[in-house]
Amino acid sequence: MGKAFRLSTEFIAGIIAGAGMGWGLDQFAGTRPWGMIIFVLLGFGAGVWNVMRASGFVRPPGSPDAGGGS
Amino acid sequence: MADPIHQFQLKTIGQPLFHIGGTEIAFTQSALYMFAAVAVITVVMLMATLSRSMVPSRLQSVVELLYNFVADTVRSSAGHDGMKFFPLVFSLFIFILVLNLAGMLPYGFTVTSHIIVTAALAGLVILTVIIYGLMAHGTHFFGLFVPSGVHPLMLLILVPIEVISFISRPISLSVRLFANMLAGHIALKIFAGFIATLLAAGAWGILSPLPLALTVALTALEVLVAVLQAYVFATLTSIYLHDALHPGH
Repeated sequence: MGKAFRLSTEFIAGIIAGAGMGWGLDQFAGTRPWGMIIFVLLGFGAGVWNVMRASGFVRPPGSPDAGGGS
Repeated sequence: MADPIHQFQLKTIGQPLFHIGGTEIAFTQSALYMFAAVAVITVVMLMATLSRSMVPSRLQSVVELLYNFVADTVRSSAGHDGMKFFPLVFSLFIFILVLNLAGMLPYGFTVTSHIIVTAALAGLVILTVIIYGLMAHGTHFFGLFVPSGVHPLMLLILVPIEVISFISRPISLSVRLFANMLAGHIALKIFAGFIATLLAAGAWGILSPLPLALTVALTALEVLVAVLQAYVFATLTSIYLHDALHPGH
């Protein structure tokens, strides 16, 4: 259960971070809705990347056993 | 049935201390639990290390085991030079562990079930990573966001993804701890509520041992989750610190 929960939070956190960045950029630069659209898509990518890294599927070279988890 | 959310309500103790912009800042039971946790940890650690004998007493060997456990985690995840962050990781681990376990006491309040507390702890970790990374490596720290051996055109997509991935770290770190504690305590409360509901429903009372057995099992599971989440927090902290120590990969 710990592992499943970890992977799901990694994925959701990526999307939340992307959406937050896109929203903030729109507010700041007035580019609504393009910042949100692009950054949510990038957030999906980041979420998948997070999950792949957390599950040990990909591992940056030289790092000792990253993605231990539980 | 008892309200399962009621246990997370903040109660102020005494009068509000002061006001900031119309919002009253009060001493809550959450703050009380945090102070109590720090006091308990300090007293136990001091008592265990007061008489540093070669043949350790029971308390001393418990604390030594705890030390070795966290030190192994830091060494395996952050590397040997990560040991300079051992005090931070150990403090975080023991603080979260004691707060999680305090929530398992009857009538206890779970401080870590409030996202503002876990978000502050995660923010502390990520700020340490950023500030130390910038201090130790300067602009070289931003090499963390540039994967090596990739076509320059791909960097246009990959760098934003890496940046978002980095920003999502404190979010996932805080949400995981908070959601685990919140969900576990709500489930526990609901199943315990079933016992009383069934007992009050006449002949259905014969079924009441079922939720009772489940509540006992869930309590054991929650103790496991409390310890596990403290460990996961410490492990992920060490992994993120590894990035601050060795940003270029």
